[in-house]
Amino acid sequence: MGKSPAEPTMTFARVDQVRAVAVPLVLFVLAGLLATGPWPFVSPVAPATLVPVWATDPTPVRRPTLKPEIQLAGFTYRCSDCHRLFPSPAETTRSLTQHAHIVLKHGINTRCFNCHHLTNRDVYVDDWGREIPADQPQLVCAKCHGPVYRDWLHGSHGRSDGYWDTMRGPQARRKCIECHDPHQPPFPPMPPAPPPNTLRMGGQTRREDEHRAEDPLRIYRRMLAPDQGDDASISDDYRAMSAEVDP
Amino acid sequence: MNETQPGQGGRAGDGGPQLTRRGFLRKGAAAVGGAAAVAAAVSPLRDLPGDDLPTFEKFFQRHYKEMTPAEKEAVLRRVEREVKEREGVEVRVGDPPPLTGVEFVYALNISRCIGCRKCVHACVKENNLSRSPEIQYIRVLKMEKGSIDLETSDHHYDPPVVPEHDSYYMPVQCHQCKKPPCVKACPVEATWQEPDGITVIDYDWCIGCRYCEAACPYWARRFNFAAPEVPAGQLNPDMGYLSNRPRAKGVMEKCTYCLHRTRRGRMPACVEVCPTGSRKFGNVLDPDSEVSYILRQKRVFILKEEVGTVPRFFYYFDERGSRYHEPIAPVEPGTADGEAGT
Repeated sequence: MGKSPAEPTMTFARVDQVRAVAVPLVLFVLAGLLATGPWPFVSPVAPATLVPVWATDPTPVRRPTLKPEIQLAGFTYRCSDCHRLFPSPAETTRSLTQHAHIVLKHGINTRCFNCHHLTNRDVYVDDWGREIPADQPQLVCAKCHGPVYRDWLHGSHGRSDGYWDTMRGPQARRKCIECHDPHQPPFPPMPPAPPPNTLRMGGQTRREDEHRAEDPLRIYRRMLAPDQGDDASISDDYRAMSAEVDP
Repeated sequence: MNETQPGQGGRAGDGGPQLTRRGFLRKGAAAVGGAAAVAAAVSPLRDLPGDDLPTFEKFFQRHYKEMTPAEKEAVLRRVEREVKEREGVEVRVGDPPPLTGVEFVYALNISRCIGCRKCVHACVKENNLSRSPEIQYIRVLKMEKGSIDLETSDHHYDPPVVPEHDSYYMPVQCHQCKKPPCVKACPVEATWQEPDGITVIDYDWCIGCRYCEAACPYWARRFNFAAPEVPAGQLNPDMGYLSNRPRAKGVMEKCTYCLHRTRRGRMPACVEVCPTGSRKFGNVLDPDSEVSYILRQKRVFILKEEVGTVPRFFYYFDERGSRYHEPIAPVEPGTADGEAGT
């Protein structure tokens, strides 16, 4: 009712005028935003991990001289220099007065003269009391550790440094005491080098990162202790992790 | 308001489109704005580094296997020149051929590995792997003793010292399979198996489709999602065309048993750095080699043997109880083991 025919034309004109201003305006604002880059690109990649120098150092963990020598107050003495003058008793169960820094943790091997020669302290001793030169310590170890010595001879145990192709370069097979302390033979524990961070782009929890929701041995544990449920078989580590996720 | 609307450009006229001044200005402003927006949208191209666009000789370079010796020599010099321009470091890019009568095999003693990850970082340094984003060829999996369940393994472990009492460690890297599924998957033959058993990639031929990564059952292939970043001072100048020369963004890479070293008789970097001597490398065709002894005499385990890839990478064990310092079955009261045992 009372609607004049001019009104729609009027509306079209308004819309057209607004559009005529708005379209270039929006485009120019867009151009300005894109050109100035108000949202700088932030890489989701983690920065490089700092790797300590020892992590890539190929030198063996121990560097024994393989000589019957001792360093005291800046001087180097042969073992026999003292032991020629001061013979020690054959039985060494009493506490040491010299070499007190040596901690002997070699299983049931608790006697010095199982390995060291009783009269000639510059050499080691074999099972028949004969001398083993100081630069051949593997023959001492072989007295007890037969299978390991066999594997070491064939290269399955221990480090082989240098060239795999001995026609092209030298190969050095590291001797027992270049990794093992003869008085405390287990290979020394060491801190691990940095773990990978590739997929750690922030915000990931341990639970999401590792598929460790279940104890891999739970079936066997349940077989061994059938009255206990799954919960009892989950170790403390897993229990702590599930506590993090399920409050 | 029945008069003609002068500002409406083409719509106003009763006899077809007419161009008025106002209409021209409006459309012109919209067109200029649109052009400016498009120009601004593509403006990041200004920051495109020059070496992101291939040069003529790089674009028309032939496949590694089709190159003549002269062409190959020219390509090696080109790579040296590019590294010199980009990093300012003098490098030697070689291409040692496979040795006749040699088939490389790797053996790894799981009884002795302590999980120190020195192999991982020695490999990164030797092979000029990207530090950020981080690319590493070796993953050291930590697993609970008594199981070999890869699904529950953990390669992010970071205790104060290793080895941990209840865990063992299994480093995984490219197994250099005799039947490599990655080579079958490649649509452009950018990766192939060399006569000495090493599967290599021509980084200049790879199109970055990542099919090989999906095909590998050992997760041994890595993709350069971004341009690899190696600090200039840490670049290893001893390079091989098929191994550790700088890679570009968008190509695959993988362990090559350090072929620029091993084809010259040296040990791979991971073997050289291993403090425990758990890693063994050599020629399986030589009956006197260390790996031949291990394969004949030791108890050997093949990872995912059932997938039929016939790897050249073997895990082996020592005799039970040969680690005298460790009790065979450690049982502590209060733990799940202790409860189960009583």
